[in-house]
Amino acid sequence: MGPRLAFAASLLLASLAPAAVSVPAVCSACHNAKTAMGGLDLGTLPDRLDDRSVRERWIRVHDRVERAEMPPKGVTFPEPQRTAWLRQLSQAIHEADRAQAMEFGRGPLRRLNRDEYQQNLRDVLELPALDIRDILPEDREGHRFNKAAETLDMSRVQLTAYLDAAEAALRHAMVVETSPRSAVHYRAVGTALFPEKVTFGEREAMFFAKNNKAIETKQLDVYKDDPSIEMALFRSAHWPYYGYPRKFVAKWPGEYRVRFSARAVLHVENYRVQPASRPVPMTFRARKPSGPDVSGDVRATGGVMDVLPEARVFETTILLRELETFEYSPLGLPVPLARNVDGGAPTYRYPPFPSGGQPGIAIQWLEVDGPLPPSEWPPASHRVLFGDLGINPSPARPAAEARRLLRRFADRAAHEPVPASALVKYEQLVQTRLDRGAGFTEAMLAGYKAFLSSPHFLYLREPENSDDHFSIAARLSHFLTNTRSDEQLRELARSRTLRDPANLRRQAERLIAGPGFERFIANFTDYWLNLRYIRRDDPDIRLYPEYRFDNYLVESMERETRAFVTAMFRDNLPSRAIVSTDFIYANDRLASHYGLLPLNGSAMRKVMLPPQSPLGGLLTQAAILKVTANGATTSPVIRGAWIMERLIGDPPPPPPTGVPSVEPDIRGAKTIRQLLTMHTKNATCAGCHERFDPVGLALENFDILGGWRTRYRGLEQGEPVTGIDRAGHDFSYTLAEAVNASGKLLDGRTFADVLQLKTFLAANPRQLARNLLHQLTIYSTGVPVRFSDRAEMEAILDANARTGFRVRDLVQSLVASRIFLGKAGFDKP
Amino acid sequence: MIERRRFLRAAGVTLALPGLECFSAGVAGAAAVEPVRRMILISNNLGVLPKLFFPQSTGRNYELSPYLTGLAEHRSDFTVFSGLSHPAVEGGHSTENCFLTGARGPTKSGFRNTISLDQFAAERLGQSTRFPTLNLGVNIDKANRSLSWTRDGVLLPAEDTAPALFRKMFIQGEPEAVARQLRRLEERGSILDTLLEDAGQFSHRLGRDDRQRLDQYLTSVREVEGRLQMMREWEQRPKPLARQAAPPDIQDKKLFFAKLELMLSMAQLAIESDSTRVVTLMVDAFATPVFKLRENQDTTDGYHNLSHHGQAAEKLQQLENAERQQMALLAKLLRSLANARENGQRLLDTTMVLYGSNMGDANTHDNSNLPILLAGGGFRHGKHIAFGHDNNTPLANMFVAMLQRLGVDCESFASSTGRLKELEFV
Repeated sequence: MGPRLAFAASLLLASLAPAAVSVPAVCSACHNAKTAMGGLDLGTLPDRLDDRSVRERWIRVHDRVERAEMPPKGVTFPEPQRTAWLRQLSQAIHEADRAQAMEFGRGPLRRLNRDEYQQNLRDVLELPALDIRDILPEDREGHRFNKAAETLDMSRVQLTAYLDAAEAALRHAMVVETSPRSAVHYRAVGTALFPEKVTFGEREAMFFAKNNKAIETKQLDVYKDDPSIEMALFRSAHWPYYGYPRKFVAKWPGEYRVRFSARAVLHVENYRVQPASRPVPMTFRARKPSGPDVSGDVRATGGVMDVLPEARVFETTILLRELETFEYSPLGLPVPLARNVDGGAPTYRYPPFPSGGQPGIAIQWLEVDGPLPPSEWPPASHRVLFGDLGINPSPARPAAEARRLLRRFADRAAHEPVPASALVKYEQLVQTRLDRGAGFTEAMLAGYKAFLSSPHFLYLREPENSDDHFSIAARLSHFLTNTRSDEQLRELARSRTLRDPANLRRQAERLIAGPGFERFIANFTDYWLNLRYIRRDDPDIRLYPEYRFDNYLVESMERETRAFVTAMFRDNLPSRAIVSTDFIYANDRLASHYGLLPLNGSAMRKVMLPPQSPLGGLLTQAAILKVTANGATTSPVIRGAWIMERLIGDPPPPPPTGVPSVEPDIRGAKTIRQLLTMHTKNATCAGCHERFDPVGLALENFDILGGWRTRYRGLEQGEPVTGIDRAGHDFSYTLAEAVNASGKLLDGRTFADVLQLKTFLAANPRQLARNLLHQLTIYSTGVPVRFSDRAEMEAILDANARTGFRVRDLVQSLVASRIFLGKAGFDKP
Repeated sequence: MIERRRFLRAAGVTLALPGLECFSAGVAGAAAVEPVRRMILISNNLGVLPKLFFPQSTGRNYELSPYLTGLAEHRSDFTVFSGLSHPAVEGGHSTENCFLTGARGPTKSGFRNTISLDQFAAERLGQSTRFPTLNLGVNIDKANRSLSWTRDGVLLPAEDTAPALFRKMFIQGEPEAVARQLRRLEERGSILDTLLEDAGQFSHRLGRDDRQRLDQYLTSVREVEGRLQMMREWEQRPKPLARQAAPPDIQDKKLFFAKLELMLSMAQLAIESDSTRVVTLMVDAFATPVFKLRENQDTTDGYHNLSHHGQAAEKLQQLENAERQQMALLAKLLRSLANARENGQRLLDTTMVLYGSNMGDANTHDNSNLPILLAGGGFRHGKHIAFGHDNNTPLANMFVAMLQRLGVDCESFASSTGRLKELEFV
């Protein structure tokens, strides 16, 4: 394609028939063959808008002019030519893009990612605890999500992994035993509550108590089975302290019920305990038992229990793998300092005793039962595969039975009805296996394995015509519950009434209100807000000794953000909640982290904020501030760019080549603001940095974990602060320069602090809503917002403007749009 | 069904040989006398400090650069190159997946990667070892980064745990396990037949874009099927005896050097035991957080931050230390390959070891003038071969020379404009 576009001599549009796009002289003055500023020669940019990569380059041209980034300062593109040209270009791109979407669909087939594959299998096979995700390779990220059609590729490695995963899942689903294995009962009292009678941490970490007083170690043999003694723990379960009930391991994998009696206590002088004044949260973590002082892999089992000052019985269920046990994991308690002096055995050092005593938990007894048998036998998963044929079925008419069972299974597993001509292939496979001497069950499993690795199961299709209800059902369920459509959705698809607007709306409401929506929240926040990286950087304990090993804090901040995003959808919050609300979600740990009035207990609850609080909204949540920092320092550049891209929807252009990054000076000599002066003084830098640096600067009052600070910390210069942290370490850092969180936005408005910035950002709820819709579009359809979607995006925003762009309403509008319904939507007038 | 499968397998092979770059396949003639040739391809995705890596003088009598003094004992066994890069492979870190593919424009919209050198070589050589290739990683973000890519531009994930690799290569299954695995592979053949037939039919109902996605699926089915027969044969052959105990599993990303050393030793084991003839190893420095520099000293920053040193002395010092340690590990690998013998010959003489990076200068995100070092493998080494600093020569020209040395009859690969003639065969 040659350069059909010539340079126009005047500012008039050089419209060259039959070219769809013309280049104004104001652009081609720089972007021509000779100078090709920024590597762009508009003369050679073909006008074949049906070519996707060409179209995307024109879209970039359009957007940069529309956002007034081009032409650069000092060059004017006079009105009304500019508007006219933008309209002409936009029209041309829109038409070309729409024609392509009409012809080939808005997006291609999308492969299930590994979370979806696992959840689909769990639902199809009625195995809620199935754990096969790690058999599959991790999925590539596209447009920030693990849902992009374009990056969910297939390879021989991927396909082999699907075959292996399907095989493993089917093995779990099928049983050969004629009756369920009876659950094993285990009970521990006295010294059996802990693997050893003493720990390396000695009695500072754990002791056995009778009548509220520690029993002398040599007396323990006397009291060992005494049901009246308690095991009292005062340290968090982190190396080198851990404990689990003695001699218990899961002989078989499965779900185990744990019941135990415990109370929250304070360890006071002379190894005595007394009732605590506040609850102590705890959880169990699954792990393999190991020798003393050895930490192995530990796995969260979920569920936090608040142990109260009065003894109480708790009950929970945990999933254990073969030969695993579970350790007591009191949350928020300190971990002592372990020292290997001259390479010798570790010794431990404890911080000064907290006034009032060291909190901990005391356990009176503990029972485990499991694996919990299924409520019926053979279990539901077996009947999914073999109906009523029982254990080890060997039917008289295997071919007919195979046909019946396969049809049943395919209806369950596939995302839409499978034509008989396709199913017959699987029947033939079962027959082939039977002919080659396989037993009935083995032959059936081969058929199922194949089906679970087939495109019917692995791929989601774009809805293609107005009665393509099954594709819509699958898209809706994978969007809001990360799994296959359930029976209600399937029934509506069968009766061809799902597309009825009232039905569609009701179904979306139902899924958002249902338990499966937690999976949406988990996956959406993992990717949109990078919560999956919340544990990536450990705090630098030289600068932040108070955050040392504070897993409970990190866990709480993660839960806060998930609870908040859940509320955005379920409580239909306005889009401004992304940057500003008058409440937050918090628990005991977060209340102290944020400097709010104390709260009791680990549960997240809605807390109203005092007036003028800098908190509220996603923007200032600890989790967001942590994932945008590293363990030692915060960078306004990185935070600002991250927030502008993810929360505001105004991504910065990629960083220029040949420029080193600016790193905060942790000696304490210079503030980041001084280091960043280049970004405002130099016009080339400022061109981009003034778009996002200010937002990052406004957040400088928040440290690496979102704690409030008014002065930076350093290691060399400034006012020294020394002490012993709660884990027994000496610390010494300095309080350096004061934080200045003021700044100036691109449009010239200035702000003094984050609170003022929030009012500016919240004043543009439409942009916040637009960004959220963009994120939801790629997430739900696997394809980012296309140029031809833009008009509809704006229409959705118009429709939601009056009510403040409420988040659940936005979901509903998206679900009802052509964007979501695919080509199906295009028949609508 | 068996007849058809044989046909499909043949079809699969035909499809895999579009004949674009190469005219004929297989190991070049006289297989009886030609020694077995192999290659190890290593990339650190943040590169090295150029000043300390590139020698000042060129030719055979060049003066070793500070980093290369760490490899002085092997001087006659390697060639160092300057002025090589992949044309139009720019865009800072986005180029890391293109180091062995040379695919242009990784930051352009609609970019798709192309086949990597290791996969290309494996396709051409045919499978004469248990594993056509092994793809290893250190601290690697497995989902998003790899040196190894299929013809469709699909990422092949790296293996990053040494014990798993060791098991694959050396641990012999019990006879029952082998029998079970053979039954499984036989059944898998039937399953793949079914999938191919059904998906073929499924694909007829689809539009253009959908069909492209499904073509990936069909290719995958054919490739798995094509490999089944070899897998069956290998399953019945005993695995080689390991000359060492199973390696430890090091997961802590902080222990960067220990992990790298372990993976290099796994690469060497794979080559020595003839488990494979092509190994890739991506050292994912980008994904390496603060790491242990020496006993009792951690770096002050993650590797990526260090690489953006901005000439700060404190960072440069740490970076230099980290890079020198990597050179020392490379020297160790070369030493053990030189000490190992096969048919009376040094293993190093038949094993090419490429060490390089997609980054010419990570500090400035520069993707030209890549640091490239090629050792062993049967070339006339001992030189610094310099190409134009401002007008680089395609790195793929060197890949062509390597492919030819490997015995692959081919004239071009990726963006090559010919064979790097400065690199002479022994």
